[in-house]
Amino acid sequence: MSPSNAASKSPLTTYLQVAPLMLVLLLFFAVPVALVVVVSFFRYQMLVGIVPDFTFRNYIDLFSNPTTWTLYLSTVKFTLITLAITFVLGFWIAYFLVFHVRSLLIAIGLFLVCTVPFWTSNIIRMISWRPVLGTEGLINSALIKAGVIDQPLQWLLYSDFSVVVAYVHLFTLFMIVPIFNSMARIDKSLLEAAVDAGATRWGVVWNVVLPLCKTGIALGALFVVTLVMGDFFVVTVMSGGLSGSATSGIFNDLQFLNYPRAAANAVILLIVVLLIAAAIFRLVDVRKELVR
Amino acid sequence: MMANPNLQGTSVAAQPGSGEIRLVNVTKQFGNSYAVKDINLTIPHGSYCCLLGPSGCGKTTILRMIAGHETPTSGEIYIGDQMVVGKPPVERGTAMMFQSYALFPHLTIQDNVAFYLKMRGVGKEERRQRALEMLQRVQLDHLKDRMPAQLSGGQQQRVALARSLITNPKVLLLDEPLSALDEFLRLKMRGELKSLQNELGITFVHVTHTQPEAIALADMVVVMDTGRIDQADTANIIFDKPKTPYVARFMGGQNVLTGTVEKSGNGVLKLKAADGSIYETAHAASSAAAGSPLSVAVRRDRVSLKKGRGNGVNAVNSIAGIVDATEYQGSYVKVTINVASDVFVANVSDSAYFAEPVDTGDPVVANWKAEDVHVLSKVDSGVAADHGH
Amino acid sequence: MSASPSYGSRPWTFYVLAALFTLFVIFLYGPMIAVLILSFQGPSASLVFPLRDPSLMWFHELFSPRRTGDVAGAFNRSLPLALIVMFLTVLISVTAGFAFRRRFRGSTAIFYMAIASLIVPGLVLSIGILVTFRYLGLTASWWGSALGAHLSWALPFGLLIMFAVLGRLNPSYEEAAHDLGASRWQTVKDVVVPIVFPGMIAVALFGFTLSYDEFPRSWLTVGTKNTLPLEIWTMTTNVTSPALYALGTVTTIVSFAVIALALSSILIIQRKRSRGK
Repeated sequence: MSPSNAASKSPLTTYLQVAPLMLVLLLFFAVPVALVVVVSFFRYQMLVGIVPDFTFRNYIDLFSNPTTWTLYLSTVKFTLITLAITFVLGFWIAYFLVFHVRSLLIAIGLFLVCTVPFWTSNIIRMISWRPVLGTEGLINSALIKAGVIDQPLQWLLYSDFSVVVAYVHLFTLFMIVPIFNSMARIDKSLLEAAVDAGATRWGVVWNVVLPLCKTGIALGALFVVTLVMGDFFVVTVMSGGLSGSATSGIFNDLQFLNYPRAAANAVILLIVVLLIAAAIFRLVDVRKELVR
Repeated sequence: MMANPNLQGTSVAAQPGSGEIRLVNVTKQFGNSYAVKDINLTIPHGSYCCLLGPSGCGKTTILRMIAGHETPTSGEIYIGDQMVVGKPPVERGTAMMFQSYALFPHLTIQDNVAFYLKMRGVGKEERRQRALEMLQRVQLDHLKDRMPAQLSGGQQQRVALARSLITNPKVLLLDEPLSALDEFLRLKMRGELKSLQNELGITFVHVTHTQPEAIALADMVVVMDTGRIDQADTANIIFDKPKTPYVARFMGGQNVLTGTVEKSGNGVLKLKAADGSIYETAHAASSAAAGSPLSVAVRRDRVSLKKGRGNGVNAVNSIAGIVDATEYQGSYVKVTINVASDVFVANVSDSAYFAEPVDTGDPVVANWKAEDVHVLSKVDSGVAADHGH
Repeated sequence: MSASPSYGSRPWTFYVLAALFTLFVIFLYGPMIAVLILSFQGPSASLVFPLRDPSLMWFHELFSPRRTGDVAGAFNRSLPLALIVMFLTVLISVTAGFAFRRRFRGSTAIFYMAIASLIVPGLVLSIGILVTFRYLGLTASWWGSALGAHLSWALPFGLLIMFAVLGRLNPSYEEAAHDLGASRWQTVKDVVVPIVFPGMIAVALFGFTLSYDEFPRSWLTVGTKNTLPLEIWTMTTNVTSPALYALGTVTTIVSFAVIALALSSILIIQRKRSRGK
């Protein structure tokens, strides 16, 4: 984003250049989100649909309904578990690629191996767990054949476990990429300087590597949190409809065309996500990162 | 320049805590190529040693092997009387100052300096105090809460120095420490490094590719060429009496001449060049047999110039040619002369030059005395580039 | 040569992490490979291993609409949509990327809006766009509302990539071109675009695949006709034959073809640059 003083463009040119982006963002992001907020205060009438009004009815409905709380709690639980697992995996895989693989070419190759699935369909990747985790799936039949168990494990598929597996499968990449990015920028001599000062292997990771990829970790966490919090489909497919998520309520309301309450629920979700995002950035102290 | 007496006496048995460094048959291979090959080197305790050579000659690899950041493929490295190969850096008593300084960007300079103490489990108050004292020594205590990126290059270097010294090392390893500084700061820091080494009395090993830097600083200069040590000696000897044509060329200040031995003995050696020129040296210790090829060197500043074509006969210790370029250097003028097969350089004092100026295209004859001819131990292969200054 | 690698023996952590990495790659690809194999299941129609009488029957089944829904139709919508999104993403994020090279009033606001667009839950946006279209009196369609929904997600990605690419572009290239008498358009065409071209391919790859595989943002915005991921979603609930796996295999092959095309063209360009043409 370094300002170019190459050709002294007029501000008009600059604005023309961002105009298409601005237009798309306004029309397909700002206005829709604003409308969601507005509609969340509207009234819903059976058979009539949306009635313009200003009421807290939808919010009161939601907050007084214990299901909302259970669903949010369950989503937060999934978010935290997924965050923990993807962080540990993402950090150590990036660490391996950056600091242990000696050839840069191989490191880039292995990095690409990790990223390719990102560009393929999420739904297919979810479905592909069925023949692996199912009652007659690969893992169960292997365990039975090995004599470890005699009844197939039921909790492998359509359970909280399979939901977490799918989340980790789909979203670890969002941790690996930003952490890899910030790690790759660490000057290797910093590690040697730490070793010189008597730091152990773990001491180097804790005192040098970890603090220097805070930004990457924060970015990865932001992705994972928003993806899991906003997810409806993974939890539905992988739990077989047994678990819900914060978005399940929205889904139900939409089935009955109750847009105002769906919108109110969406607003709550949005606020929770933004609060978590703000908390993450507070923890990392991005301002300090930007100053240096 | 050679203040350190340790260099004269060859290595006395190293005492415990001594910063003597000994490399024995050290080889380092990266894949199929050798970074350094079968190196033997002893750096006396308390000396200022410069590893000098062009990039890729293996000098940094040697430094990093001493530091423990590379493991030799074979050979042994001793610091004091301790064999250190395989030991972590902190047990070696070495501290390294990195070319990029490697200051931790996420820590204040005080915490950077205190890092070593933190690793050793020293309490927060004490390590802060000790780091502050160290910063006072490098006159940066007033900046203790700054981040490294907020400091100038010279200040960063002083922080790096403070961070290295807080480990109380026997050996300080410096990897091109002055290369990131501008000319003015470089000269200033050069002086500071030298006086710091005098004050501390520990061994400094300093990697550089700049000849004047090595000559100005070092008690001992190690000149390297593609993985080998060509010569390790005092700066004076390296400059004045290079052993090989490579060293003579690399250090600059010398003309290398090659011929076949005509006559040797009685302290006189007579050499005949391919073009028929005769070179003579006054104090030839060399016992080269007649008929064998030999190279000699003549310092550029020991050459006198005369305008003219010479008298046609091959005079002894003289060479004729056409002036190719003149460069004014302040106290002297560098005159480059095209001779039959090569170039020959004369550094003429400014007074002598302006008494009888020569210009590009002028025919000149260069003369020198027999006692200024120095015999080299290797025959010049003529490949080394001119690193003239 | 200061950071030349140490060729000592590898520390034990290397082996632990290498094992972790291998397991992760198996975890990543294993299930996809299982689906790939099972899509060749024979007439037993079993959804699990073992594979009996391998055949292509489920691929045939896939394109006969009587049982599996409108796969061909969905594909015929998804592909052009992805291509349009790809084209617009490259065009818009590259031009916007250039605008961001200089500071202008509102740049921070637009930047944060793009980031917010990236992290807002897809479902929330989907509802919003649906409501917006309803108020504007427009019908939701794959080439209208869904296109916008996809762009709102692909553009911020493209923009971030362009930031990284242009951040590394030394302004002196443009200054040099300018000095040598190039007009602004010539500078862009003959200097800047060739230099940032690999980055543009990366943006295109993101644009295509993000749209081609997008589900939550498509869900309420495509209108009455499904895109491919939505078709698969419907199939997961009502198709219980390996035809589902066959569809998975087909879409994955399309994705891999696109990825291979993008990565290999980047590689070829880089190689040409390092070797000379």
